[in-house]
Amino acid sequence: MTAEIDTAPAREPETAAPGAQPVAKRRWGRLRATIAVLATQLAILAALLAFWEQATSSNRAFAFMFGSPSAIAGFLGQMARDGSLWRDTSITGLETLLGFFVGNLVGTLIGLSLWYSKFVSRVVEPFVIALGSIPIIALAPIIIIWFGTGLVSKVAMSTLSVVIVALVTSYKGAVGVDPDQINLMRTLGASKFQVFRMLVVPASLTDIFAGLKLTVGFALIGAIVGEFMSSSDGLGHAIFKAGSLYVIPKVFAALVATIALALFLTILVGKIERLLMPWRRQI
Amino acid sequence: MAGVAVPPLVVEHVAKSYDFNGQVVPVIGDLSLTLREGEIISIVGPSGCGKTTLLNTLCGLLAPDSGHIRWHGREVLGQPQNVGYMLQKDLLLPWRTALGNTMLGLQIRGVAPAEAEDKSRAMLDQLGLHGFADHYPSTLSGGMRQRVALARTLVNEPDVLLLDEPFAALDFQSKLLIENDTVGLVRRGQRSLMLITHDIEEAVSLADRVIVLSKRPTRVKAVYDIDLGPERTDMMAVRESPEFSRYVRRIWADLDIVLQ
Repeated sequence: MTAEIDTAPAREPETAAPGAQPVAKRRWGRLRATIAVLATQLAILAALLAFWEQATSSNRAFAFMFGSPSAIAGFLGQMARDGSLWRDTSITGLETLLGFFVGNLVGTLIGLSLWYSKFVSRVVEPFVIALGSIPIIALAPIIIIWFGTGLVSKVAMSTLSVVIVALVTSYKGAVGVDPDQINLMRTLGASKFQVFRMLVVPASLTDIFAGLKLTVGFALIGAIVGEFMSSSDGLGHAIFKAGSLYVIPKVFAALVATIALALFLTILVGKIERLLMPWRRQI
Repeated sequence: MAGVAVPPLVVEHVAKSYDFNGQVVPVIGDLSLTLREGEIISIVGPSGCGKTTLLNTLCGLLAPDSGHIRWHGREVLGQPQNVGYMLQKDLLLPWRTALGNTMLGLQIRGVAPAEAEDKSRAMLDQLGLHGFADHYPSTLSGGMRQRVALARTLVNEPDVLLLDEPFAALDFQSKLLIENDTVGLVRRGQRSLMLITHDIEEAVSLADRVIVLSKRPTRVKAVYDIDLGPERTDMMAVRESPEFSRYVRRIWADLDIVLQ
């Protein structure tokens, strides 16, 4: 090559080198923006809690109906001390994770493999829509009869809440692959399986992870609904029991644990996503 | 047949029509052309004249309604061997680095990983991408991405390259540089090149022959042998000669473009 060609990349400095602004300064600017957002969020939360505490401390009926942040904190502390907080959270967490895992695995495998055959996917489509339109709660009584009142029925509920969404999002990702890209693979001599493995599966990851983030919540709902129907432990059971005894602050305390669990699982999925799709990190 | 080389690509009376809402729309009317060994031809035509349909038919992605396509004298079912294909879209896989994208064809054919990597690195170096092998496409500029796409095509050492407006989206400087490199690598490797373009200046500056297509249903309207001297490695110098402008004007007139 001539010297002229060798310098080609240097002609495009906007991608090769960082801009005029020093990196440290830009990083500080971004950090400041993040701090401002966090501070505002905390301020809103503090204001809401203060209003709640204030409104319920002056009125016993309000305190009974709505609980109060201090009473909720008290129950959280008590549940942490007697161990029920950790036991219930870990049980619900286990049910959710198992349902999330099985539902997404099965749904994604079916969704992706439907890419292989236009015929099969057209045959299957109305059945998927029909199954997807069933409210999972309506299945709970049957699930309890079939799988009992233990762990398996909750995992089944959780799986069912997830599987159709996982199937639809992964299928959507698979059929959304650019046909020109498939043609390119074919002109390079790729077999259908190579197109599937080297193009369709990685190209669908974006949609699959969008589905994973969505289904974390669904898996949790499935598990909690299962616990509502019949169980002797788990956060859903704690909420149900406290509710039927009119101990509103304890309902909220279990709810706080549920929110914390949901947040933890969502962050976990986000971390896995960044680990599995390193090319998106560089953008 | 002794002593007579079989041309790498012969197209004989190919026709192709589409079924559009129950109506048969002829796209390619009756098309014949030959790409000789070591030759660069450009195909120009009015927009919507079925250039992309022609390319997809040649690549075996579409079957012609009638006529024959012969690669090295033989009709091929499916994808022809040793043919490289490149579009205006770079079609790089975002989850693969520049190196990974370049290696794609070699991996598909089952070349040993170490060998595939060595060849691909060498090809990236040749195209001025030394030091960018481990970059993801999202961090490269348009010109660099198209160079990676070119590396991905050339690393398979195709006899024939089919390029469909590969440089149309690039700015003028990047375009001239990558044209220079492409022609240099094609000539040095004794490869044949068919370039589909709507840029008449690009067609004339690169090709030994320019084939002008008619409106749909497409047929060959005119063929120009481009004679701009033997040394045509500098794309800028080529564009300055008076013969160059003459060819461009005549082809422009042939295209029969009416300004409205």
